[in-house]
Order: sequence, then structure tokens, then C-alpha cells
Amino acid sequence: MVKKILKIENLKTYFYTWAGIVKAVDGVNIDVNEGETLGLVGESGSGKSVTALSIIRIVPSPGKIVEGKIIYKGENLVEKKEKTLQDIRGKEIAYIFQDPATSLNPVFTIANQLVEVILRHQKISKKEALEKAIELFRLVEIPDPEIKIWNYPHQLSGGMKQRMAIARALASQPNLLIADEPTTNLDVTIQAQILELMKNLKKKLGMSMILITHDMGVVADTADRITVLYAGRVCETADTKTIFYNPKHPYTQALLTAVPSLALKTEKLNVIPGSIPNLIKPPKGCRFHPRCEYAQQICTKKIPELTEIEPGHKVACLRATEINLKSPLGGSNN
Amino acid sequence: MSRYIIRRLLYLIPLFLGILIIVFAATRIAGDPVRLMTALNPHISEQSRINLAHYYGLDQPIYTQFFMYLSQMMAGDLGNSYAIRGGIEVTTLIGDYIGPTMQLQILAMSLALAIAIPVGIISAKKRYSKLDMTVTTTSLLGTCIPVFYMGIIAIIVFSYILGWFPPGSYITQISDTRNYFLGNPTLDILWHMAVPTGVLTFAILAPIVLLVRSSMLEVLKQDYILAARASGLSERVVIYKHALRNALIPVVTYAGIYFGGMLAGAPITETVFNWPGLGRLFVQATTKLDFPVIMGITVVITIMTLIANLITDITYGYIDPRIRME
Repeated sequence: MVKKILKIENLKTYFYTWAGIVKAVDGVNIDVNEGETLGLVGESGSGKSVTALSIIRIVPSPGKIVEGKIIYKGENLVEKKEKTLQDIRGKEIAYIFQDPATSLNPVFTIANQLVEVILRHQKISKKEALEKAIELFRLVEIPDPEIKIWNYPHQLSGGMKQRMAIARALASQPNLLIADEPTTNLDVTIQAQILELMKNLKKKLGMSMILITHDMGVVADTADRITVLYAGRVCETADTKTIFYNPKHPYTQALLTAVPSLALKTEKLNVIPGSIPNLIKPPKGCRFHPRCEYAQQICTKKIPELTEIEPGHKVACLRATEINLKSPLGGSNN
Repeated sequence: MSRYIIRRLLYLIPLFLGILIIVFAATRIAGDPVRLMTALNPHISEQSRINLAHYYGLDQPIYTQFFMYLSQMMAGDLGNSYAIRGGIEVTTLIGDYIGPTMQLQILAMSLALAIAIPVGIISAKKRYSKLDMTVTTTSLLGTCIPVFYMGIIAIIVFSYILGWFPPGSYITQISDTRNYFLGNPTLDILWHMAVPTGVLTFAILAPIVLLVRSSMLEVLKQDYILAARASGLSERVVIYKHALRNALIPVVTYAGIYFGGMLAGAPITETVFNWPGLGRLFVQATTKLDFPVIMGITVVITIMTLIANLITDITYGYIDPRIRME
């Protein structure tokens, strides 16, 4: 039996705005097994980032976790005090942000920012911390680390900045790394390099990882399992192969069709009609039903539960077994 | 960094000359000081007027006057007053009046910054709380009400109604030093300073509080703040190291510009409080078309404003590496 490093149960994170309560995450269940990479996939606004920020409890105001459990190594982080959480952040669970241009403080040198984080969790001297920082730079394959470390963020390229952000996240050898769209703001060639680097580092350091992305191509190559989110709820979760070749949720299938691919040779890029619903007043029943081509009367009324249809494959669709979805990547693989 | 400072210094020279030309031309357009001097004497002959104009060099073409003024200024001579204290040297006059002005302005500015920055931060941290609402409303009021109006109200309340502070001036005018209200002259001056300093401080700090607050709110939304929190840094380090340094960038700019504006506003403040500073001297000089004094004060205020700007630029470069480098 695989050990679970993280288990999120029925997580609800709401934002209390003037316009109303935005139910950004509304009953999400996620498991992360020890040593695996979990891909968290969904459109913008599906609640991926809010889920991730909830894990380390840094949801910005006016957001609040209203319900649910976040069990990390057997302890519920939702009940922990701020002081305890500060010791967990960066040391046990580290976070890499989407845009390296904005996730590094522009007014401090990289050495300053790295040493600060190292000293936060390790009792070593400043000099040792600096050596360690340079060592981390070597690990993330930054050339001339002794020189580059004294630069300010604006003096580095986007790819270098993201490597630096990865170095900061790895500073205290975390057990779980959350990477929130780490390659979205990078050039395509740099994207591949960074993904490769992250894959290697994960293996080298034996971490577990949550990789958040809206790019199915990114998870195909990196993730062991995938959880698909839509409008603050989980649609489907299964191992990567199953998600790609045997999707059971119409939304997962729609996401796959929307991936531009040379292999598929389609003339036109498929789009999912409509956009993510207003989360202040989400649609009743299944949240995807207004955009779903398989929706029926019942979908507008009944909320689909996340149910296991085969071992390790959970789907939240009332018609999952009725409709026979075809993967755009070719037939079922089982 | 030193190259940055030198470049900034070089920018100041044309700026300074430009300001001098504009003010010099403006004073000459304002009127004829000889007519003003002789207005009360109906029997004066035209020849005497011409002699007077010749004596002051006012019969020369304006550009000759300007270059003469400029060459004298280089030698540290700002000329003699036409009308104040029997033609006293302008440099001496400015020396006598600059102290009280700087005392008031620098004290008010320092107090304002020392109060406004922490208040703005707390207000931003507790956004929409009762405290924040109170701070914002008060600051908005302070920003809207002009200094002279605030000053008059303060004099009415604290001097006439409550009788706690004197209604103006710098020091009690007495011959025997043992008779000072609080026993010694320094305390007496401080007693006189209380109301003007208070009013000026409030007027300066109000907009700075709003600026610090909004700047802080903007910075707290940034990813690098979330990233700092995600690294396990304590709230204190996140706010006072990572957020504050970034939030202060616009505040430094504002404070620098404001310092220049404040000296320009000194005539009003000092007239209201009968404060013996450069501002009040300036008002006296303009009513008498005392060209050398007007020019002298302009030169001094310009230099001080330019120095304030230079300090702003240097601080700016120190806080934000992106400016220093380019």
C-alpha cells in the first residue's frame, strides 16, 4: 500500500468580496502519494492555485478556508497555529510560483533572498548559508553561481529567475514541492529545460510534487497521476495514462481535445464553448452542465459525487458509465 | 553609484539657471521699484529718479542686469536690500531668517514621516477595520484643508479659546531673560513652535499616510510577498523587510517633491503664524518690490529644493536597484 503524504478532504476556500462569496474551492478531495508527481489540471479560475495556497495556508485576504481537512503526514494543517505553519512552509512544503519575474523581490540581491530563507530553517552561520546558496545554484544548473548570486532579479533572464526560484524552494530540502504553473511564463525552449530540471531534481531529492498547470502537454510528460479541477470541484482523478487514453468525464475529454498537437493533425484548434462559471452563483447540479454536450435534465439538478469507477480512477459525473467517451488520442488503452 | 550622483548633479546646473532667468524676468515685469520708493515724495525731480535707477543699475538692459547679478552671485554677493533695514546685505538678511524656517520645516517633515509611515502600514494591514476607516478619513480631511485655514483654526482653538499656546511669533519679546514663560529661551521657542509645527506636521503627514497605505496595499498583493510567506518567513520580516522597502519607493519620491513645495508654501504658513522666516521675509520683499531680496530668497529656496531633489534621487537609487543600474 502506498503511503499518502498529503490528503485533502472536502476543502472549501471561499473569498468574501463586496460582490458576494466567491466559492473558489468548493469541496475538493486530493491525495498525493509519497514520491509521486500529481498533476493538478484545469482552466484558469478552476481553483488550482487557491487549492495550492490553501495547503500551506497562505490564501490572501479576503479568502478563508471554511471547511475541510488538509492532512499532511498525519497532521491536519487547518488546525495548526500560524507559528507552526511558518516552520512547515519552506521546510516541509515548498512552493514555486507562476511568474518568476514577480515572485522574486526586486529590491534585494538573490544572495540576500536565498540566505534569508536558508537561515530561516537551518541553524548555520551566514557564511555557511552563502556557500549552501551557491551549492543550490549548482544544483539548479545556473552557470557562474558565485557571480550570479550577487545579481538583482532584474539582471537575470526569465529562465534563470525561475531556476533561482526553484533553488529557493529547495533550500531546506522539502518533502513536498508545489509548483504553480512553473513554466507558463517562459519561452517554449526554456519550458522544456525547466521541466526536465524539475523532473531530475525530484528524482534526486526524493520529493513528492504537485504540478499545477492548464497545459495537458506538461502533465503528460511529468505527472504520475492527474486530478482535473473544474469550477472549484474535482471532475476526475486517475493515473496519467488513464486520463489521457480513457477519460470518463466530458470535461477531461474536452480539455484533451483542446490541446494543439501535431500528431492529431486537426485543421482547427478545438475550444470548449463558454467559459468558467461565475463562482459567486455557480450553476446548480453539475457545475459543468451548461458547457457539456452530454448534459441531460438530471445534470442540472443533482450534484455528482466523486465515485470510484475502477481502482484508482474516480469520476464526478452522473453519466460516467452511460456515455462512451472517446479519447482524442485514440482508443481506450485497456 | 558615484557616477549616478555626478550625473544627477550635472542635471541640476541648467535647471538652476533656468529658474533664475524666469524669476529674474518675472520680478522686472512686476513694476518699477524706483516709483515705489519715491511714491510718498511728490516733490522729487525726474533727475533724482534717474539717478536712483542708475544707482541700483536698473537703467541697464535686462540681460546686462542679469549677467551682473550672476557674476556677483558667483562671488557670494546677493546685493543689498532696497527697502529693508536700511539697505542691509541680502546674505546677512537671509542668514537671520533661514534658521526659523528650517527649524520649522525640518522638524515638521521628520515628525510627519516618523508618524505617517507606521500609521500607513498599520492601516494597510488592518484594511477596512475601524482603525483604518478613522485613519483614512482623518488623512483625507488633512489633505483637503489648506494649511492657512488649518493654522487659523488652530490659533483660534489653542490660543484664544484654550489659551495654551501663543498665537504666533518665534519667541517672547522681553529684555530680561529670567522672565521667559517657561524659564529659559529654548523652552520658550519650543512653546511658540508647538502650534505651527503641529499644523504643518498634520498637513504633511496626511497625504503621506494615504500614500503609504495605498502603496503598501499594492505591494502586499504582489507574488513576492506570497513567496516570502511561502518560504516560512515571519509576518514581521514579510512586512518590514520585503513589503516596506518596495512600498517606500513612491513615498520617497513624494516626500522629496513635497519638501520643495513646502518651502514654496512657507510664505503662507509663516504669515499665518507671524513666524520670522524666509517665507514672511519674502512676502515683505514682494510688497516693496525689493528685487535683491526676492532674488536672494529665490536663489536659496531653489538651491534647497534642488538639494532635496538630489537627496531624493540618491535615496531612490539606494532603495531601488533597478534605477541605480540603468
